[in-house]
Amino acid sequence: MHIELYNVSKRFGDITANDGVSLDIREGEVVALLGENGAGKSTLMKMLFGLYPPDDGAILVDGKETSIHSPQKAMSLGIGMVFQQFSLIPALSVLDNLLLAYPRAPFWTFRHLFETSAARSGQILDYLHELAPGLAPHTLVRDLSVGQRQLLELIKVLNLNARVLILDEPTSVLPPQEAERLWGMIRKLAEGGRSVVLITHKMEDVMACADRVVVMRNGKLINTLERDDCTEVSLVQMMMGERVDRAPVTTPPHDSVTRQPAKVLIRDLAASQGLQSIRGINLELRPGEILGIAGVSGNGQHLLADALVGLARLSAGDVIIDGVTLQSASRSPASSGQVSYIPEQPAVNAVAADLSLTVNVALSHFRNLSFFPHWAPEKATTESILENYEVRPPNPDLKAGQLSGGNLQKLVVGRELKDEKDLIVAAYPTMGLDAGAAHDIYQALFRKAAEGAAILWISEDLDDLMEYAHRIAVIRGGEIAGIFDPREADRYDIGRAMTSQQSDETPPTPDTNVETRTGVSG
Amino acid sequence: MEMIIIEVLSLLFAALRSATPVLAVVLGEIMTQRSGVINLGVEGQMLMGAMTGFAVTAITGDPWLGVVAACGAGILLSLVHVVLVLGCGANQIASGIAVMILGGGLSAYYGIPFVGEKINSFDSFGGSGIGSIPLIGRFLGATTPTVLLTLISIPVISLFLYRTRSGLHWRSVGESSEITRNLGHSPVPYQFAAIVFGGLMSGFAGAALAVDYTSNWVEHMTAGRGLVAVGLVIVARWNPWYALPAALLFGVSEALNLRLQSWGVDVSQYLLATLPYLIPLVVLMLSFRGLKAGGGGMPMGLKAVFTNS
Repeated sequence: MHIELYNVSKRFGDITANDGVSLDIREGEVVALLGENGAGKSTLMKMLFGLYPPDDGAILVDGKETSIHSPQKAMSLGIGMVFQQFSLIPALSVLDNLLLAYPRAPFWTFRHLFETSAARSGQILDYLHELAPGLAPHTLVRDLSVGQRQLLELIKVLNLNARVLILDEPTSVLPPQEAERLWGMIRKLAEGGRSVVLITHKMEDVMACADRVVVMRNGKLINTLERDDCTEVSLVQMMMGERVDRAPVTTPPHDSVTRQPAKVLIRDLAASQGLQSIRGINLELRPGEILGIAGVSGNGQHLLADALVGLARLSAGDVIIDGVTLQSASRSPASSGQVSYIPEQPAVNAVAADLSLTVNVALSHFRNLSFFPHWAPEKATTESILENYEVRPPNPDLKAGQLSGGNLQKLVVGRELKDEKDLIVAAYPTMGLDAGAAHDIYQALFRKAAEGAAILWISEDLDDLMEYAHRIAVIRGGEIAGIFDPREADRYDIGRAMTSQQSDETPPTPDTNVETRTGVSG
Repeated sequence: MEMIIIEVLSLLFAALRSATPVLAVVLGEIMTQRSGVINLGVEGQMLMGAMTGFAVTAITGDPWLGVVAACGAGILLSLVHVVLVLGCGANQIASGIAVMILGGGLSAYYGIPFVGEKINSFDSFGGSGIGSIPLIGRFLGATTPTVLLTLISIPVISLFLYRTRSGLHWRSVGESSEITRNLGHSPVPYQFAAIVFGGLMSGFAGAALAVDYTSNWVEHMTAGRGLVAVGLVIVARWNPWYALPAALLFGVSEALNLRLQSWGVDVSQYLLATLPYLIPLVVLMLSFRGLKAGGGGMPMGLKAVFTNS
């Protein structure tokens, strides 16, 4: 199947997401759609998948102009898309999830019918057996790792007989080994005659498996290259463009940090909440140190952060800052003025949607407010945050719910970093932000480190962790699985610590890392 | 020895009979909640079923017609919930309470002429030879068609829910209507069917209570059985197989209450009468502890009841 997008444009209000993009996707080819967040890659592919109609231009399938007005239409043409957010039902089994997406599912779904009758299993479970031989069909999806879930999404799309597969940032949630496995699978699918469009902002993805690279920036198609004709450096330049150079993110130098005595001591920390638990956590943070916490999500990061800032009760251990016990198993948990917390999904977890921005900023120190609060200084503080962090629209009287998620995130970061703190716990502070905003947040966060705060930074982005953190602690199954120095460590070693029990040379097979659990909050 | 066995068996079968109306409501409500909709109106639907079933039986003299009419009445009242929740997007809790009060009021008004009326109810199986089986025969013989029908519906519902394509869609709607919609199935027909099925089962439960179990109609005779059933759905972990032990919890404590009264225990009968509500409540509190840790099988779609207004 050959698809051509001709001069396609899409506008959302004043923003032009795609401006006259032409692109063709040939049979048996892997096209990498490369660009930064917000470059318009996903929008372009969502139009091909029938989620938005294009404002301008045409889509040609095998030379015929075709209007793709719904995902159902796209699927009937043989175009399938795997999104960043999975549409799997965790409480149901692998087989049930496959049956739900299968167009001609049988009425009786007795499990033994699939395992005994070859004819039937030949249809629904074929790809499962082929691509994930170790995965039992009756496993519940909530017991699967992120990589396995993604694989299941892919199998769902393959079951629809898709000839063109669109994968939206598939490697962003995967540890390095699983990403490597995915690249192999993409190559195999292409060799089988399917076309794969890989939406990505990562250079490794392009280098590992693309035939052709399409670079996008600000909604425009910048260039189309054969893989062999391009180098990483040239691609980065095309991706970034002649952007006004921002001041580089500076972190306190390693040597000056490691010479300091420890400021924050975490000793034998243990806690449990719902299905999640952490135990035996021993960490030290020096003043100005940025300690990265890496791990597959759902391995206890969330609970660790909650335990440090006093939102979860400790079952053992304590947290000591400058010799003073802050949290301890013998006391009820309490928040402290010395600690800042940027929780994950700040738009949900850190603001009250129906209150104004001023009140939301004041909430972080509401114990210090007088009984009849003076709002003028609070408003001034809020205005300065809005200005410094480029929150749009910069009106402190708006309700928090009226701002977009990215802007709320910037507001929360600004609020949490405005005072001097001893410990800053930041969980995924840049998740979902475009490169520019992420850059600004890193700058603000690490400036605090230079001022002497200790920073515990939880992230899923191993590249960023390797670049900025002084040390990286890997959390797996609620325990620290290893602490690495990013100057010397190999990313594959870190990846192994994130997923498997032993650090031997064999890559993990799909069924060895089922210990990943989903959090109750998720 | 034989005395004790007979005593225990008769208590158990008495429990089964008094649990039957609750069991039917629990099964219906499990199916409703499995589609992501909560219906507190089952209490009112049960009352409407009881009144209609009793009235039709009194007029026609045929208890089977009474049961069928009761199912119809339950379905009709559940359509109010359908219209409010699926049609108007109303809050499910508020709509359910409205249905409950409406059913209570309507049944009280239309039931006035039938208070104190006598009906000829179902014959028990005693005459059909079952009664002559030694020891358990006289207890089995005392069971009635509604008990049997309700028990049979457990495997039928489970077969549908866990082993058919429609049952799979039904469960997926209850877990996430969003994802189900993305997969190309509309959740509305399933939620419609789920509420109507809940109406059918609670109407049937009303008939089981008024036509079969008590052969009597009194205003507000369900006395909270419908609401207890909604609580027992949690105890049953939304699983039809667990509905029987959960409902027996109510049945045993009610049978125990009557036994204790007949033995002349020196406790006020009003306090004893709270037993069937108190014991499920305690079990519910205990099972909540396990529920928090393991999720307890709650359909995730039910969360939307509390987040969407």
